[in-house]
Amino acid sequence: MPAERAGYTVHMFVLDVCKSMGSPHTFTLPDGRTQEITNLQWALKYIKLKIQEMIYNGRKTDKCGVIIFGTEETNNIVNDKQGGYDNVTEYIPICTPNAGTLRKLDRLEPSATYGDPIDALIVATKTQEEWLGKKKWSKKITLVTDGQNIMELEDWESSVAKLNELEISFLLVGVDFDSDDPEYEYQEPDKSNVKRQNEQFWREFLDRVDNGNMGTLGHAMLYLSKPSIKETASNPMRSVLRIGDAEGKPDQAIEIDISTTKCTAVANNKAWKNFAVRMKEGTKDEEEILIGEDGSRLIVYAQLKKQAGWYVDTKEENDDDDDKKSIKKEDGDGDVKMEEDSDSETLVQVEKENLIRGYKYGTGYVPCADDSFLRLETKKGIDIIGFFDAAKFRRELSRGEVQYIWGDKDSPLQQVALSSIARGMAKKKVMAIARWVTKDGSDAKMGVLNPCLFDKVDCLLWAEMPFADDYRQYTFASLERLVTKKGEVLTEHPYLPTEEQCEAMDQFVKAMDLMKADKDPETGKHTEWFTPIESYNPGLHRVKQAMFHCAVVDDLATEPLDPPHPDTTKYFEPPPKVVKKSKEVVEDLIKKMNVKEVVKQPKRTRNEEHVHAADDDDEPLLLARKPTATFSMSQIPASQPTSPTKSKPEPKPKVEPGDSETEDESDDDTARKLAMKKAPSSSSKNPLPTPARSLSPRSHSVSQANIQSPAKPKQDDIAMDIDADIDPQRDPGRVIGRTRPLDDFKKIIEDPESYPSAKAKAMKDLGHVVTGIVLAPFASRREQELKDCLKEMRRAALLEDEVDVWNGFIQDLKDKCLFSTPGNKEFWEVTKKMGSGLITGVEARKLGADSDVGEDQAVEFLK
Amino acid sequence: MAPYDDWNSVEDEDDEELQDASLFEARKDAILFCIDCSPSMLEPWDDPEDEDMPVKCHLFVALDATMQIQKKKMISGPNDSTGILFFNTLLTQTSKGQPSELREGTHLYQLIAPLEVSKIKDIQALLDAAKEDLGELKKTFPPRVDGFTPMGDVFTSCNWTFRDGAPKTASKRIFLITDRDEPHLSNDPQLITAARANLDNLTSLGVTVEPFFISTEEKPFDMSRFYKAVLRPNTFAEDEEDEGRSLSVLPESISIAKIEDLLAQMRFHEVPKRAHFSVPFQLAPGLAIGVKGYGLVTDKKSVGKYVYFHDFGDRMEQAKSMSVYVDEDRQAEVKKSNVLYGTAVEGAAGEDNENSTPTRAVKAGQRPFYTDDEKRSLRSLGMEPIIKLLGFKDHSSLSFEDNIKHSTFIYPDEMAYSGSKRTFTALLKSMVKKEKIGLVLALIRRNTNPRFYALLPQPEKLDENGWMEEPGGFHLIPLPFADDVRAAKYQEGYTASDELEEAAVAWISKLSLKGAGYQPDSYPNPALAFHNAQLEASAFQEDFDKEDFENVTDPNFKNIHKRAGELMQRWKEALAKDDSADLVAVVSAGTKRKADTSVDEEEIRSRYNSGELAKLRVDQLKEFLKSKRQPVLGRKADLMDRVSEWFDKN
Repeated sequence: MPAERAGYTVHMFVLDVCKSMGSPHTFTLPDGRTQEITNLQWALKYIKLKIQEMIYNGRKTDKCGVIIFGTEETNNIVNDKQGGYDNVTEYIPICTPNAGTLRKLDRLEPSATYGDPIDALIVATKTQEEWLGKKKWSKKITLVTDGQNIMELEDWESSVAKLNELEISFLLVGVDFDSDDPEYEYQEPDKSNVKRQNEQFWREFLDRVDNGNMGTLGHAMLYLSKPSIKETASNPMRSVLRIGDAEGKPDQAIEIDISTTKCTAVANNKAWKNFAVRMKEGTKDEEEILIGEDGSRLIVYAQLKKQAGWYVDTKEENDDDDDKKSIKKEDGDGDVKMEEDSDSETLVQVEKENLIRGYKYGTGYVPCADDSFLRLETKKGIDIIGFFDAAKFRRELSRGEVQYIWGDKDSPLQQVALSSIARGMAKKKVMAIARWVTKDGSDAKMGVLNPCLFDKVDCLLWAEMPFADDYRQYTFASLERLVTKKGEVLTEHPYLPTEEQCEAMDQFVKAMDLMKADKDPETGKHTEWFTPIESYNPGLHRVKQAMFHCAVVDDLATEPLDPPHPDTTKYFEPPPKVVKKSKEVVEDLIKKMNVKEVVKQPKRTRNEEHVHAADDDDEPLLLARKPTATFSMSQIPASQPTSPTKSKPEPKPKVEPGDSETEDESDDDTARKLAMKKAPSSSSKNPLPTPARSLSPRSHSVSQANIQSPAKPKQDDIAMDIDADIDPQRDPGRVIGRTRPLDDFKKIIEDPESYPSAKAKAMKDLGHVVTGIVLAPFASRREQELKDCLKEMRRAALLEDEVDVWNGFIQDLKDKCLFSTPGNKEFWEVTKKMGSGLITGVEARKLGADSDVGEDQAVEFLK
Repeated sequence: MAPYDDWNSVEDEDDEELQDASLFEARKDAILFCIDCSPSMLEPWDDPEDEDMPVKCHLFVALDATMQIQKKKMISGPNDSTGILFFNTLLTQTSKGQPSELREGTHLYQLIAPLEVSKIKDIQALLDAAKEDLGELKKTFPPRVDGFTPMGDVFTSCNWTFRDGAPKTASKRIFLITDRDEPHLSNDPQLITAARANLDNLTSLGVTVEPFFISTEEKPFDMSRFYKAVLRPNTFAEDEEDEGRSLSVLPESISIAKIEDLLAQMRFHEVPKRAHFSVPFQLAPGLAIGVKGYGLVTDKKSVGKYVYFHDFGDRMEQAKSMSVYVDEDRQAEVKKSNVLYGTAVEGAAGEDNENSTPTRAVKAGQRPFYTDDEKRSLRSLGMEPIIKLLGFKDHSSLSFEDNIKHSTFIYPDEMAYSGSKRTFTALLKSMVKKEKIGLVLALIRRNTNPRFYALLPQPEKLDENGWMEEPGGFHLIPLPFADDVRAAKYQEGYTASDELEEAAVAWISKLSLKGAGYQPDSYPNPALAFHNAQLEASAFQEDFDKEDFENVTDPNFKNIHKRAGELMQRWKEALAKDDSADLVAVVSAGTKRKADTSVDEEEIRSRYNSGELAKLRVDQLKEFLKSKRQPVLGRKADLMDRVSEWFDKN
């Protein structure tokens, strides 16, 4: 076989379209449903995926052709010349495939007749041979058949001889052929005699083919989803390694010619292309319908182009502020585009060439016409600054891809020179700090050079390091040294692990060791579990699989993507043996560490309003009523000792939402009773971030604050400190209060650090709060606010994929408005007018969420 | 802010990276420099190091550092605000549109407001005058003679200053600069209480105090006299959310600056600490703790952030780039929310309308493309953000070359899981003790690819005084996938003789750098510095002379040649005499990073018997030794000796 090289290949696909290929094939979808397609469709999917791979790789010299057998008509070059070879058709002549090739394959249907696979194989061989002429390309033939028809078995040896003579690699893929491969074992039940004989025949046939292989279709499909690594040859870049002043002291300064190649390079997926359903001319939401050849209704997806333009807003200066805001908002999406309702008529498109750069400097900009700023002059090459002890290398500073640095490949002298430095560095156990300029005038990079001695060649490795500008040093509190205000160093504290806990951790680290957790299947030796060169990028291969998939199917809903290949997720869990071995150790560790999840509370607000708000609010009173509502207050159990005594963490049960309703003495109790179960008001029910008792009660400082000297600010400022930021109208266990529910809600939803569970909780809690307010007296006073809440919540439900929460809530709200006493029929009318009804499947899917509510149901709901 | 066209040219795939950075930069920072003007701050002292200005006072240094920080902020945080408040001064505030009346003995020199060139020029002028005559500072800011301003009053003034001037959303910080460890004459407990209560007030508004206490040999700064009782732990180190949580505990990571280090110390605090992400760290099923991630090494800052302006002749207007998705055949704009994703399609095969928009027709109701959310969930494989421990490995298994991106530092988050700190600390200590690294699978943000990371422990390091030198925590180092690893280009080459190696060792030994390896602080980005110097000159309408620019990343040629010049020359001479000087290269192309070597014991035995071990290649010798569990270190001669030894014995 000629050496494998990418491209320069003609791959012939020979496909069985005989009547028997119309038999059904049933498979199970990831969600458990089953689906039926014909064997032909299954076989086609295989061929299309193979062809899609060629399209994806995009090589002009990757060609393919498709021969089908079992067609009513006959159309092939062998028949043209010498007759015979009936029912064989050259369906797709040899070409570089594109998406159209796939679409053409989609039109194939099982025929009502029969054709001979060997005939078709000969046709494929001839077609390929003729197309290639004198070209020495690789030749491949893949034949897919169900083996259900009686074959003419005369003279098949000459076909084998031909395959071998032409050095064709031949793959036979049989639909539901038996397979004893350990990776994919399969026995077809109720196999017909004809098929059994045919399978036997093909086995004998393949035995004689030099480059032959045979497999069953299911296995071949699995094999296709196996991740494959795209080998990329690194292009060496020439440069020079310098030590010393080459210009000032040429006698002493060292210059070595080098080539650099990549050692690591992040592999990325090909970019997605953008599409949208084409709308009828002149309409915004009416899909354009075409009538297909077979009379079916078709819709068209058009590939979109991104058109970028530069605009200047000529609106009056005075609403400059608003403008800024709208830009900001778009920035957040990472995509600057026009708001639907912006006054686009005030925007004037301008040519990019006429624009002038302005550099931000403080509040203003420094204009810089024609980029008049000078660039720092730099000289191509790698300058060594000096050497340092390799043990002092800080691995975590490495900030990018790693490069090899070789002595010039054409000059033994330069190789020897580089080798001596690499060896010298290795011997002294040092690394070098160096500055790299890739070409004259381009910006320099700093990095570290590390010697790398292979068996027969020496080189250096380059790792880029951060500049001072790109490196931050934050302060962090000590983990191990805790000091009280009195200056005593604590040895026991819930933040500090006890000896017992450390011991449990030591056991855990030992039990979870991976250095000998794998086994070489050949030698049986214990080896290290996981190395980078054994790990596939699961996301990368998943996206690639998905790209292939959508290229070959017509509808993702009915033909969903297969699960990821197990090879891509094989390191997602620790090795089972290790897990098993460490089971007891883990249980012990869990017990000793006693970690508890904290129910996320909304962040404290700290707007200046609070300072002022103090005057007109009866904060302290509310506070006294509801001590459990705040962090700070819950740290003031009056009986707690005030000295920093340590304490063992007390297990705090996680509060179940709904279980933590507190007595609510406000006057809108009627509705709340529905949700109320019991009223535990003990603060210990509310788990605190730190399980230990408060060590320095806040009450202390509060009381001190109250006896302050005259040089103090207003008293209420101090009171503010205690509780200003937390809504006293918020029930324990709820993350949304009743004072400003929308603000609380937005804070959680818009916080990028919020956990999804926190968002879902916020949504549920907002539902409770809204329902409560709606059903309470004077709800109409807050109508606008309630409407805003509904709007925001519905929007969030769609975005955060919490449609069920919304649908449940709005159903409940409707029921309570209309059917409870007193209810609030007026508000339901308002809701109807807003159109804030159930979220339907159609609406949800636009945003990738899901809902089982149909359109009719939604319309009915709002009636 | 990045220029808008950069925003747009970015592929969707990179969205997260960029949004991340913007999120980080979008939040404004407001700093109030709160500077003591007491007589000791005005006391002149000698600085023999500085030829320009041999006599200085603390106040001068503090103001100078403040101005430097402001200048730096002009570029690094142009949307940030700063203000300057003096205390222990006779000046009192009456003018400048100061809405709130400040406490006696405090003077608001600059309101908290966005950075402006003119303000910096004011300080510059003041400093220039002080350079001529140090007494000028005393004249401008006469110290209070009737005693000292209570710190409680200082904090109250700070409070009101922030209330009037700071943007609501900003992070608010006070840089407190003083040399008085006993700010009050009397040790009145009421003063302490007042200071603490007023500081609490500030804290509850989200203001943090970052103290810069000036300590000198003659006048060391003793925390225990006053500040220990007043400052709260969250005042310096803890996250904003942690406040009020650990009142009894006072981590002593307060910056006590020697006056010479004041600027450096301030730079250290220039950027407010902010977490990049907050995720559960699962040690085992049923055992998760909370951690936050901090980017200590960040994406490289591009040289010059700019926006585009359009010149209308009479005025300049900022231009914005906007992009829309268009079905070109129809010239129909498509809303971003309606955009679907797939692979390239073409017109029906064989049809010739090359120029038309590629389309794909399917039956009504079918959809062969992914929605945005579907697309995004593909890369994460349905994972939710988490750091999941897979196990532990030897520290040595983390190699130099297994790197693709910068690392992230993680630190426990007690707010997400109680008990996080002790668990984290126990894990850290255990791993340091056993010299292990962790292997984790993590998805640190939604819409990204799951990745494997090495979890590199960093033990906590305190200096002899108990101050934090290096915080304890883990570095999350992203590991390359097989997809990211490139083969070594060359497998064979010419290597150096022992003599030449020795000659190289000679000069390498002379060129070792002081200090602890690569120190990022020593290497500011020269291209960025060069650009910013021009920007600053342009903003201050000064001339820029590129000859004045010093590129501190330049190698120190003088030293190199002084210390090793002759040895380097000797090495060059040795190289010129090397056999390879006359050779022409024959280098074969390589394949994968790890070479495949096969050994045949019989062949090696026969070589050994005939005394021809030298004819074997080094890799063959190594492979053989490896298979016999013999050490494989050393030069070829060592390897041959070891092989002979083995055959002697067996």
